Amino acid sequence: MPPIIDKEKCNACGVCADICCMDVFKVVDKKKSPIIRYPEECWHCNACVLDCKHEALSLRIPLPSMMLHVDANVATD
Amino acid sequence: MIRIDKKPLETDVLIVGGGIAGLMAAINAADQGVHVTVAEKANTKRSGSGATGNDHFLCYVPELHGDDIEPIHTEVKNSLIGGYLDSTHTLKFLEQSFDRVRDWESWGISMKPTGKWQCMGHAFPGRPRVWLKYDGHNQKPVLTREAKKRGVKIINHTPIVDVITDNGKVIGAIGLDINKDEPTLKIFRAKSVILATGSASRLYPSAPSPGCLSNTAFNPSCTGAAQATAYRAGAKLVNMEFPNRHAGPKFMARCGKSSWIGIYKDPKGKTIGPFVKKPTRELGDITADVWNSVFTDMLESGRGPAYIDCSETSPEDVEYMLKAMVGEGLTSMLKYMDEEGIDVRKHMVEFMQYEPHLIGRGIEIDLNGESNIEGLYAAGDPVGNFRADIAGAATFGWIAGKSAAERAKGIEGFEKAEETPLVEERSKLYSSFMERDTGPDWREANFALQQIMKDYAGIKVRSETLLTAGLKYFNDLKAKVLDTLTAENSHTLMRCMEVLDLMECGETIFLTARERKETRGLHIRPDYPFTNPLLAEKWITIKKENGLPRMEWRNKM
Repeated sequence: MPPIIDKEKCNACGVCADICCMDVFKVVDKKKSPIIRYPEECWHCNACVLDCKHEALSLRIPLPSMMLHVDANVATD
Repeated sequence: MIRIDKKPLETDVLIVGGGIAGLMAAINAADQGVHVTVAEKANTKRSGSGATGNDHFLCYVPELHGDDIEPIHTEVKNSLIGGYLDSTHTLKFLEQSFDRVRDWESWGISMKPTGKWQCMGHAFPGRPRVWLKYDGHNQKPVLTREAKKRGVKIINHTPIVDVITDNGKVIGAIGLDINKDEPTLKIFRAKSVILATGSASRLYPSAPSPGCLSNTAFNPSCTGAAQATAYRAGAKLVNMEFPNRHAGPKFMARCGKSSWIGIYKDPKGKTIGPFVKKPTRELGDITADVWNSVFTDMLESGRGPAYIDCSETSPEDVEYMLKAMVGEGLTSMLKYMDEEGIDVRKHMVEFMQYEPHLIGRGIEIDLNGESNIEGLYAAGDPVGNFRADIAGAATFGWIAGKSAAERAKGIEGFEKAEETPLVEERSKLYSSFMERDTGPDWREANFALQQIMKDYAGIKVRSETLLTAGLKYFNDLKAKVLDTLTAENSHTLMRCMEVLDLMECGETIFLTARERKETRGLHIRPDYPFTNPLLAEKWITIKKENGLPRMEWRNKM
């Protein structure tokens, strides 16, 4: 569920939790990575991914948000 | 009882919401030499619908458009946002819009990413182009920095849940500090308050994902707080009965259809609209701007679905488009497309219309950005008689900031906002949510509201009987919610407040939709199937008077 923290890369700075517009994260212990407390509320704005200096964040887009697409190489008018 | 911080915070100008409008208001208010505080639900660096970027800034650029502003004014009135604007406000906005562009450029937001001023997107062939294409990826951190530089106090993670008035004047506000799990109410004493909380998502079920509350094109954290608090305080709302829908990729709800440089096509590759054969960055396909319901109509006619096809766009323009999407803040979508192998050069992406949400429907403001309540101002998406999205937020935020500061300068000392009965009344209500062991949570309440809004004040059909029945059900739900809602911590209490705000907006939609006895735009009344020319220039305002809603008609200016 989005977002995902790579604990190997995370240095527990808490920026993701601080800037999240949906308050998805929760800092439980300041020395540890935040927990993803409300994953289903994520808007996938990508701010946490963009602002993590340690590239520890990634988003997994949930299935209901799948983008529908087809090949474009059909006959055109 | 919920904890109340005993020491009220004093500030000349309190700004509710640190989005584009709020931060621009803060900057200009601080420039007038008064004490300014921004109370923000999340963090101003990344909050609101402009969190990670935007790309279109509506404006009048004299060096592009010439000395005569009037053709541009006309173009705005005829544009996709044009129906619900007071001309007086639009003109004032246009006159100042390019000054705000220059401010942003000087602060480090790239307003001419190609090296020159260029208006592109939402453009009609042969007509003036009015949407300046910019790169807003850093807009929120930059505006936050500029506000702080001027001494603005930013209080993050503290949404304002009500404004406090006394004898028809603003004297403060109630904030909810959610920094810790245990919520704390913070009372603000303020001489002027500016409401700038963005649009209202989550009022209707998400069109792509009815089971998800956060799959919305605009920020799902924006839930009509400005309209609701203003309404509770006695301010007038306007144009609430008119639904507004955005369109974009299916099923990933995201704004920015105009960033896509392509042609709308049916599944056989046949072009749907008559406007553009070969898309370019200057002129994309405006079919959806002209024919708002094209994606829904295609689907329901059986000839759909409708796609955007960028495969015939030049490689240079595709590169340009993908880069512009970064500036618009669509990086998670681009990453997802990359991971899933979705390539706009090879694939057509299905588009859809999203659910109605509130933008440009709400608080009526005068030319200084002030509502009918003295000292209560509004700017940006929650304003009901003017709209120009990012640019409107920036420009009228700026105007409201100055007006609010000037008002504050004329007032000696602060009123004791913390002593008003409202504080006790609201703290009792919030405490009741926190103290209950069992009962519905905010999600249940939000979904229950959405299903009533969809079926009884929706976009398919509205009528006297449906709206009357819906209002009854709505009131039943509201009473039940107030009596049984539960919250376990500050986060869920904040979400409860959001649902109550959405309900306030919902009530005004029911009442004004019933009052407008005609069909106009997406306000579809089969019991009045005609569009009445006598009502073309007439707007409905709604406000609370002695606790009861009161509607009035007024002429559009």
